[in-house]
This record gives sequence, C-alpha cells and structure tokens, in this order.
Amino acid sequence: MRIVIADDSLLLREGLQLLLVEAGHDVVAAVGDGPSFVDAMLAERPDVALVDVRMPPSHTDEGLRAAVEVRGRWPEAKVMVLSQYVEVSYADELFASGDGGVGYLLKDRIGAIDEFLDGVERVAAGGSVLDPQVVAQLMVRRRADDPVATLTPRETDVLGLMAEGRSNAAIAAALVVSEGAVEKHTQRIFAKLELPPDEAQHRRVLAVLAFLRS
Amino acid sequence: MIGCMSFLSAPITSPGPSVVPPPTSAKLTRMFRRLGRESAYLLGGWFLALVAFIVVVTGLSVGAGLLVTVVGLPILTFTIFAARGFAELERMQLRKLLGLDIPHAFYRPAGPDQGWFRRTLVPLTDPQSWLDSLYILVSFVTSTTAWSFAVTWWAGAIGGLSFPVWGWTLPNSQNNQDLPELLGFGRSYGVKVVFYMIAGIFFAGTLPAVIHAFTLVQSGLGRLLLSSRSEARAQVDELVVGRTAARSAEATALRRLERDIHDGPQQRLVRLTMDLGRAKKQAGAENPQLVGTLDDALRQTQDTLDELRALSRGIAPPILADRGLRSALVELAARSTIPITVEIDVPAERLPDHVETAAYFVASEALTNVAKHSGATTCVLAVKLVGTDVIVRVTDDGHGGAHLAKGHGLVGLADRVRAGEGVLNVTSPDGGPTVIEAEVPCGS
Repeated sequence: MRIVIADDSLLLREGLQLLLVEAGHDVVAAVGDGPSFVDAMLAERPDVALVDVRMPPSHTDEGLRAAVEVRGRWPEAKVMVLSQYVEVSYADELFASGDGGVGYLLKDRIGAIDEFLDGVERVAAGGSVLDPQVVAQLMVRRRADDPVATLTPRETDVLGLMAEGRSNAAIAAALVVSEGAVEKHTQRIFAKLELPPDEAQHRRVLAVLAFLRS
Repeated sequence: MIGCMSFLSAPITSPGPSVVPPPTSAKLTRMFRRLGRESAYLLGGWFLALVAFIVVVTGLSVGAGLLVTVVGLPILTFTIFAARGFAELERMQLRKLLGLDIPHAFYRPAGPDQGWFRRTLVPLTDPQSWLDSLYILVSFVTSTTAWSFAVTWWAGAIGGLSFPVWGWTLPNSQNNQDLPELLGFGRSYGVKVVFYMIAGIFFAGTLPAVIHAFTLVQSGLGRLLLSSRSEARAQVDELVVGRTAARSAEATALRRLERDIHDGPQQRLVRLTMDLGRAKKQAGAENPQLVGTLDDALRQTQDTLDELRALSRGIAPPILADRGLRSALVELAARSTIPITVEIDVPAERLPDHVETAAYFVASEALTNVAKHSGATTCVLAVKLVGTDVIVRVTDDGHGGAHLAKGHGLVGLADRVRAGEGVLNVTSPDGGPTVIEAEVPCGS
C-alpha cells in the first residue's frame, strides 16, 4: 500500500517507516506538521495515512483537525489517527467526519505489529478501528434512553470488539464461540440499533458510530 | 499609641549619639547632616502645621455649622481638599527631608458619570481625607511641642556655648539675679561663664538625640495617619499579584512538565515498542524462547506507558490544555461510571490556565467522590461563570451524609479549593441529595 505518515517526532517517523517498509508497504511521504500533512494527502492520494494528534504548529489536536479537514476535502481519504492519549470526544469527531475508513489507536498498540498492520489494512479497506481503551470507556457509560442500553451483555461485548475493528472470525475466537453465533449476535445488534440492511462493512461502521454516540 | 510605637522605631534606624562609639569624621558629618535635616523638619514644619490647623479648623467649624444651609457642604468639601493639599505637603517633607519611603496616597475617585452634587460628596466619604484632617488637628499639638523643644535646645546650645562672646554685654545691675546666683554659686562673671558653658555643652550634646526623638514622634504620627492605609493597600495589592503570578506559573510549569513527558520518555518508549515488535517479528517462529522474552519486554514497556499516561493526566490533562475547560469536562463526564448530565455555561474564550486547572480538578475529584461513596444512580455536573467566579456544582441522588469533617475524600477537595482562594459548600442531608458546590475565583 502507498502510505503517508505524519508525526513531529523524527524518532517515531523513522520507527514507523522501518516497520511499514519491512512489511512491504511504500511510505510515499513522511511529514511533521498539520498543514504539510493536508498538502501531502491531497498531492499523493495514498491508500491510507497514519497521523499523530499532537503536532506543530499548534501542538494541540493539530493532527485530528488536519485529518478531519482532509476528509472534508477528499471524502474517500482513509486515515488512522495515532496518539499517546485517546479521548472519546476526539473519536466521535473523527468517526463523524465520514463513512468509515478511519481508525483511532493509542501509539502503544503499534508494538503488536501484526494486529496493528491488520488494523491499518482494515481502515484502508473502508472499515473502522477504535482503540480498546475508548471501547472500554464506552462500555461503562450508559444512558437510559439509548438503544445501545437495550443490548444484552453478550451483544455489547460483540459490539465492543466490532468497534475495535475485529472481523467476525476474530470476535468468535476472542469470545470462544462459533462464527455463526457471532453472526447471529451482529444481526440482532443491527436490528436493535435500527440500522437498515446494507453492505456489511457500512453497517458495522454505523453500529460503531451509534456506540460512540451512546 | 501602641501601634504608633512600632512605626516610631521603623523609619530612622541609625543609633542615637549616646550609643555611638567615638565618632569618626564620616560619622560626624552624617550626624550633622541628619541634625540639620531633622531640625529643618521640626522648625519649618511647625509653620506649615500652624497654617494648616487654622485653615482646617476654621473650615470644618464653619462648614459643619452651616451644614443645615446649602453653603456648608461646599465649604466642607473645600476644607477637605485643603487638608489633602497640606497632607501632600507633609508627605513631601517626609520624603524629601527625612528620606522616608511614603507611598502615594490613594483617594477615592469620583465616578465618571456622577453629577456635580455626587462629586462634591465623594471626598467627604473618603477615609484617607478624614485621616488627613485628623492629622492636621493632632499634629498641631505635637508639632508645637516639638518646635518648642527644638527652639529651646538650639538656643541653649548656641547661647550657652557662645556666652563668653556676648555675656559681658548684659547689664550687670544688682536687681538682676540669674540662675547660677539663685543656685548659690555666687554672681562673679567667671562663675557665669563656667555655668553657661556647661549648660551649653549639655544642650549641644543632647541636641541630636532630642531633635531625633521629636522627629521620630512627628514623622511616626505622619506615617501612621498619612500613609499606613496606602502602605497596607500596596502590600495587599502586592500579595494578590504575587499569589496570582505563583498560581499561573504553577499551572504553566505543570503543563510544560506534561509536554516534556510526552515529547521525551513517552516517545522513546513508543519507539521501543515498535522496535521490540519488529525484533519479535524478525525472531520468527523458530525462536519461541526469544519471542517469549520479547513479549515480556513489550508488556513491561506497555505497563510503563500506561503508568506514564495516568501520571500525565494527574499533572495536566492533555485535553484541558488542547481544548479548554468545556471539552475537558465533557470528556470527564464521558469517563464516569454513573450517567452524568453536563450543563456548562462558560465563555468560549479560554480562562486563565490556573482557573481551568482548578475547576477541572475540583469537578474531577467531586465526581470521583460521587462514584465511590454516594451510591447515586444519576448526577448533574453544572459549571458556570458568575461574575469573576467559576462555580462548579455537582448534584447527585445518592444517600447523602457526605461531610467535610469526616475522613471523606472531600477534605482533599476542600484543600484544593482553598488553595485557589475559593469556597467549598457541601449540603448532604441523610438520605440525600448531595450538593457539592465550589467557587473558584478567576482573580485579577
């Protein structure tokens, strides 16, 4: 895949680049601030981008705002946002910026290389990947008038794993059930969240979005 | 006068001549210079005190007497202004002649939109103006006393020491009896010369001490009535500025610390996880032992990163620095295990760092307390700006009974609020509901 990376730390840009090149990917641009990231994205049109949140010039949520801006100007852009911190409200903004093709992970997750690369590919394919820490936070908060609250505990578990970007096979392995059982659960989740029958990938993204908004 | 005494010892600290070891010429020069300035202050000051006394006493009596008619009020106001003028002259003397550090007096100013009548009244409501008038009344008594002593001592010193020069010019009639004769020393000219020379030496020797003592009393009174209010005010101003600066510096330092942790150790550890991950991949399946060791190393690194993240959040939550109080509070509510309704009414522009930090941690600790102790099922977090105070109110439907005195987590919260000069109120009857309300002042 052709990949653009943005991080103001040379140390991390190098590390990411090594890791991606060893996995057979092509890093077409590596930049260190928000505006250059927007420019590189629109010029290179990569398959996927990896972007850090805290970058110059503002040193605040620069990367997040740049990602949202890119997706505003090029809706098909696929962006994986990486950060030292994850905030539910940032995830919400990112996922609201378009249909799928986004990921939001703690930088720590990069160490589990195979899972990380799997997540990047999932985002590049239009799926969504949400950090388990955000999912855990979403799990504890509940509101009475929320359709997510009508899910059974098992269905909530399935939705959480779905939000982390796992396939049905991976969810089945994690919960030690059959893939068929997971498929049944996902169908019931879609029904309870009143998601229209559609292409599977799209519905999964919508389900995650509903989960985020709960 | 007890309060006055402390002022008396303060202004002029060089020791009196009686305790001075054999004076060197430099010390002697300094002593003479001081004697000159203090004498000028006492002798000249009396004329100022006299004029001021006449004007102010007359003005106040006439003004007060005519208060029932319309003209009384302007006369009083005019007198107060005159008193201010005399007080300013006195302050100038204290500064110029005695080198005292007298701050500029603060008089209550008239508002820009007040009419002439209100403007006339404003000086009459100003405490410092009345202190000025009081000073003029009191200082006339002390100044007259001081002036009399100063004139006597100077006359005694100069007259006594110079008696041999002019003593012979006095008519020496039998009807004149002077002091040595009355004391039984006889009436010979030699006795007179010796007696008056000794008296002159006594006056001259004690002159600096006497002048200095009266100067201390007079200037102490001036300091007390004319400038202690302004001094106290200046001190309070300085303290307030100092505290605000300290709090703001602390908040800035904490945010910098958080950023340094982010840019330093956190990034190196992230890079370490990447490299360990790559090493694990490179080791491949044929090296299960090595893969196991690398897995352990990865887990350690991961735990360290988690701990650092928790530490950073406790120092300065990144979202607070990035997005401000509103977003940070929304995120805080999102993390809670109890459903929280958030009502935030603070301006979009950012508040001072230390205020945001204080308000955030107050909300954070109050919510933690609710989650731990209250048994509540719902909770409302309301944050609003009222005047210059940020009010943080957390209301829960728990079983109540929260108390500041008991070993609750609320004690730490109360300390945190007090450190920011705020107020914490807790209402928590048994059976609930509990309302925790903190006022965090934005300061100046």
